[in-house]
Amino acid sequence: MANVLLRYTNLVFVTLFILSLLSFILAYLFPGQAVENLTGLRLNELSVLQNSELKYAVDDNVVVQYWHYMGELFAGNWGVSFSSGLPLYDDVGHYLPASIELSAYALFLSFVIGLPLGFLAALRHHKLTDYSLLSVSLVGYSIPVFWLALIMILVFSLQLGWFPLSGRISLLFEIPSITGFILIDILLSDSIDKQAALIDALRHLILPTLSIAVVTTTLILRITRRSVIETLNSEFILAAYARGLTPRQVLMRHGVRNALIPILPLLAMQFPTLLTNAMIVESIFSWPGIGNWLIQAIYQQDYPAIRAGMLAVSVLVVIFTMSIDLTIRLTDPTRRRAERAAI
Amino acid sequence: MVLLDIKNLTLEIDISGGWVKALDKINMVIHEGQIHALVGESGSGKSLIVKAIVGALPNRWRITADRMTWKGQNLLTMSVKARRKIIRKDISVIFQNPINSLDPLLTLGQQLKEMLAADKLTKTWFWQRNAEKQELAIKLLHKVGIKNHQLCLKSYPHQIANDVVQKFMIAMALASEPKLIIADDPTKGMEVTSKTQILKLLSRVNQVKSMSVLFVSHDLLAISNMASYMTVLYCGQTVESGDLQQLRKRAFHPYTQALLDSAPSFRKDLPPKSLLSSLDGTIPTLHHLPIGCRLGPRCPRARRECVVIPQIRRVHTHFYSCHFPLHWDAK
Amino acid sequence: MPQSSLYQEEHHPSPLQFTWMEFKNNHIAVAGLFCFAFFLIITIFCPLLAPFDPNMQQIGDLLIPPSWYPNGGISHLFGTDALGRDLLSRIIYGCRMTFGISLLLVMVAMLLGVGLGALAGMSTGFRSSFLNHTLDSIQAIPTLLIAIIIIAILGPGLVNSMWAIALALIPQFVHQTRDFIRHELSKEYIMAAKLDGASKTHIFAHSILPNMGEMLVVQGTLALSVSILDISALGFLKLGAQAPSSELGAMLLEGIEVAYIAPWTIAVPGGALFIMIISINLVGDGLRSALRNRLLH
Repeated sequence: MANVLLRYTNLVFVTLFILSLLSFILAYLFPGQAVENLTGLRLNELSVLQNSELKYAVDDNVVVQYWHYMGELFAGNWGVSFSSGLPLYDDVGHYLPASIELSAYALFLSFVIGLPLGFLAALRHHKLTDYSLLSVSLVGYSIPVFWLALIMILVFSLQLGWFPLSGRISLLFEIPSITGFILIDILLSDSIDKQAALIDALRHLILPTLSIAVVTTTLILRITRRSVIETLNSEFILAAYARGLTPRQVLMRHGVRNALIPILPLLAMQFPTLLTNAMIVESIFSWPGIGNWLIQAIYQQDYPAIRAGMLAVSVLVVIFTMSIDLTIRLTDPTRRRAERAAI
Repeated sequence: MVLLDIKNLTLEIDISGGWVKALDKINMVIHEGQIHALVGESGSGKSLIVKAIVGALPNRWRITADRMTWKGQNLLTMSVKARRKIIRKDISVIFQNPINSLDPLLTLGQQLKEMLAADKLTKTWFWQRNAEKQELAIKLLHKVGIKNHQLCLKSYPHQIANDVVQKFMIAMALASEPKLIIADDPTKGMEVTSKTQILKLLSRVNQVKSMSVLFVSHDLLAISNMASYMTVLYCGQTVESGDLQQLRKRAFHPYTQALLDSAPSFRKDLPPKSLLSSLDGTIPTLHHLPIGCRLGPRCPRARRECVVIPQIRRVHTHFYSCHFPLHWDAK
Repeated sequence: MPQSSLYQEEHHPSPLQFTWMEFKNNHIAVAGLFCFAFFLIITIFCPLLAPFDPNMQQIGDLLIPPSWYPNGGISHLFGTDALGRDLLSRIIYGCRMTFGISLLLVMVAMLLGVGLGALAGMSTGFRSSFLNHTLDSIQAIPTLLIAIIIIAILGPGLVNSMWAIALALIPQFVHQTRDFIRHELSKEYIMAAKLDGASKTHIFAHSILPNMGEMLVVQGTLALSVSILDISALGFLKLGAQAPSSELGAMLLEGIEVAYIAPWTIAVPGGALFIMIISINLVGDGLRSALRNRLLH
């Protein structure tokens, strides 16, 4: 087990290194001066600071610059944005938790709905329930996420007026951002009417979460269903039936674990897709998350911001995927290679 | 006492084009304390019979029988629950490829303890029950000849050698103290030493606990040492069934004779460097089943009457179905 | 099946024919296939089918409702948008753009991806393990994210978004090809070919490549639906096809402003996208089931 851990930490470090290298190279690939892209300051401002604190040597060679860049990254100085002039580290720290919150709720919802329905569809294989669930799931993951969000806005916000159109919480409430996660922040702050704030935040959360969750729920449903069907047809399940166990016992004791464990990596891979969909939905709902921020940065050609945002998102995705993979590899006794289950 | 009584069991499956009889009017009777061998080539439907008895056939199959009873109770008409109860209590099955019959994610110990019936335990408290289950498990493992029970109970199926796993499966089969053990080709692909160990184990179990064993195989040598009664199956039809010694001495059906001839150690008078005798041709596929006696196309003694399925005739406990059996020639 | 013919000749269909027979039996998948063919026809014969010029703005005919509304007419079947352009023609041209470009991108990505994957799969040693690691880590990043990164470097625009998506689709193909080749190389028929003296290229071209066909088709349908979604997403985010062009995602973006009074401006382009993607998913699903079930014969 120790060498699995070692291999994985090695892999994580190598990947993070590659990502940081990529983000460094991005600065050169973007139009304009590399140093400007790295720091966010214009050249004329840089020469003023050259003597004092800035450690970037404009004329030094690339490797030295990279070294300084890494140093600055770890020190927390990610440069400033072209358009707003604010430090990027604070911006990312502010917006990233909002996206994580939205994605986490959507992921949770998808699992809670998708997994049981997948099991249900597999148990009623080739019957009406199965076919209807399959059709619904097909429709679900064929819908473009942005179209779904637009239709939801049209129907639920504009026509029926049940839910608000945009934003994270009504402007009436002033929530000091402690953790960045709005529901926790509401519970932690003590200056306002908590219940009203919670309800308001939830109302703002519902439509974006649902738009994102639909696609992921249907994918999880399909993956689970396929895996359960294959497991229930395998030999040892038939042998268990031949030993006289009831279907319920077979399913509970043997079926669930054997069906879920092979697809865990696949299920975990839904998170990056979900994050990407979240980015699109954020721009529709004006949700103050990193996706929206990043897309605005691309419109405004704010290269330092793009670089920092990319780094943050990619690092998040990679760390998440790898840690899930590592956990699975450590806990599953029969693991050999990663299985790609079918949909 | 008759344990399992099967009469005229027919299994049909719907292949595109029509219903095909995979098993055609099978007859089999298993008595208490008997080692009953079910012999046939691959493709003759032996595993289907096992599945039909246990009730593990997929829904595509259609089962009809004049009589299929277990200790007098009709297996076909009883509810799924009652059948499952009988299977759990009285019948145990051992499959080929034992590793595939075990859950890959649970240890062997956990799976064995699952099979220990709750009403056999005497203690009442949680931890005492667990300890008792552990004791019983160890005893069972020793009974089947697994000495290193610590390692065995802690490991996962893929970490243990094949023959040890098969012994473990026998231990699991014994856990519920059944009346009948069905062994579906348990020694497939094993080397000779392990094979003999398993077979000795089964015959010992039969003698000591007087459990009947239904041994399904195509290995005549193994069977001849163990079994007392044999049923020969060809392509879904029972061609002959009788006491093993009598069959060896004098087979009535040409197929049985050919089968016995094809195993060299059964014949004492084989001249050196002579051709091994075998029946020409192969078993027909489900798509091209002959009408009447299915051995017809291959049988050297076939004549026009063989397009009609022969009736079952018997001589004491020796049943056969052939229009031109061997002992008629001698007359 | 029990033959009722007089002769003993056996009819053994090839695996491909089995697959087609299974696929035919799945009526919904065949419906999807028809839809797919329909879109293909639209893509090819687009200029002949569109009644109006998609960019022609008729100032007098702003926001006419489609024909199923009480005050719509049949001269503009799907109505017009905020600038007076006929929606039916725009949708037809839009389908051509989205569908046609996606097909092109998938083919390019497949060629490149399969080539790279073949190189990675057939090579052994340190080179391959390094490639494996990089591929595994790239695999985790969703295609849209990669596309956005590339757009961020190259700048918005249709051509840039095409590059971006093609580049983003390649890792999937490389990974699948490499996995498949790895899996096949460990099989015994390859060993037999090697013992016969076949060179690596020969093994690849004659033994592995023909078996890859089915996997590639299934991957291709998946990649096609991903690429359609991504192109329209990029168009929607103003990062891909820009405003006056009639790409479906861009049309959706324009429709937002007038969506409340003219819901058809977002319903119709979105619906076209939806049907496109559903038909591809149906075909892909049908293919996967057919490939899985043909062994039951």
